[in-house]
Amino acid sequence: MTAHRLSVRFRYALHRSRTGQIALLAAIWLIGQAVVHVTGLPLPGGIIGLALLLFLLGSRLMSPLSLRRGANWFLAEMLLFFVPAVLAVLNYPQLLGVLGLKILAVILGGTISVMGVTAMTVELSGNWRARHAASRSGNT
Amino acid sequence: MPLLALATLEPWLATIFWSSLTIAFYLLAKQLYSRWPRWWLMPLALTPALLIVVVLVVHANYGDYLHGAGWLLTVLGPVTVAFAVPIYEQRALIKRDWAVLAIGMVAGTLTAVGTSWLLATLLGLNGTLRLSLLPRSISTPFAMLVSQDIGGVPNLTAVFVVMTGVFGAVLGDLLLSWLPIRSSLARGALFAIGAHGAGTARANQIGPEEGSIAGLLMVLVGLLNVLVATLISLLLH
Repeated sequence: MTAHRLSVRFRYALHRSRTGQIALLAAIWLIGQAVVHVTGLPLPGGIIGLALLLFLLGSRLMSPLSLRRGANWFLAEMLLFFVPAVLAVLNYPQLLGVLGLKILAVILGGTISVMGVTAMTVELSGNWRARHAASRSGNT
Repeated sequence: MPLLALATLEPWLATIFWSSLTIAFYLLAKQLYSRWPRWWLMPLALTPALLIVVVLVVHANYGDYLHGAGWLLTVLGPVTVAFAVPIYEQRALIKRDWAVLAIGMVAGTLTAVGTSWLLATLLGLNGTLRLSLLPRSISTPFAMLVSQDIGGVPNLTAVFVVMTGVFGAVLGDLLLSWLPIRSSLARGALFAIGAHGAGTARANQIGPEEGSIAGLLMVLVGLLNVLVATLISLLLH
């Protein structure tokens, strides 16, 4: 069996294997960690890995088919992996009192503002662009 | 409860106990929420709540739990890498709507940081607590990084991110019924920039277009925040 045929078979197997893709994503993260360790960049390994993977996909060195199943699994089950961080609330029993209510007020007020401002900005700038494009094509 | 006492004493038993309990509660919460989609049954809220009850019942503390199940946090690294795939697959949308998306992300981020700072100051919250509140609108892996950069407490930020997600999904529905919004771009942006992953899940239920816009924006706004926070912390030190 030639090296080419072996590599085709390997890719075909990888496209179907979620476990293999999960391992591949973890390997890219480890490369990112190693880059941070060696260069001392002020970014976490995950962000470096993300940039590396975008480069591999954008330059067509890697097909999204080799990663889609694994990536979808990570994104779908993401919540599980930060549960341990949420339990930190145990170290802050004062959050159950007045302080907690104040924080809740900041979160509710802040979230309503962010959602309102974001949605209206996108809606209005989208409308503006549509009108702009229409008037431009009307002139020509 | 001799078995439970043992589970908090022996390190290897503690790892098995807390890890499998976390995964089991998570799977249970997912099942319950898919059958009864109430906000308080969201896996995001229910899993930590059930675990907190167990920690208190067996007289353990956060340190014990973290020794057992803290390794799960490491997986957030590969999760960040996985975000590259949706960004790449939505490149046509980025090319077409990049200007509108960029304006929305900047407006949303400025509003998030501005209102958090203002409301916290008005209510007399300051110091690391106020800093930990600033990045709560973005996805957890990114929010914890930003919190670290600007001098907050990443674990507290994780708690606030979860609260934002749980209430954001509900608040988003209310706002959509009040505001005159027609484009799916704006509906997706509302959920993604206001309530990160939980909002994106809600946007997916509204429509596939809203869902993919939200998924993309959630990542881009998280990245934007991390890069800006890294720059700020480099400039400050």
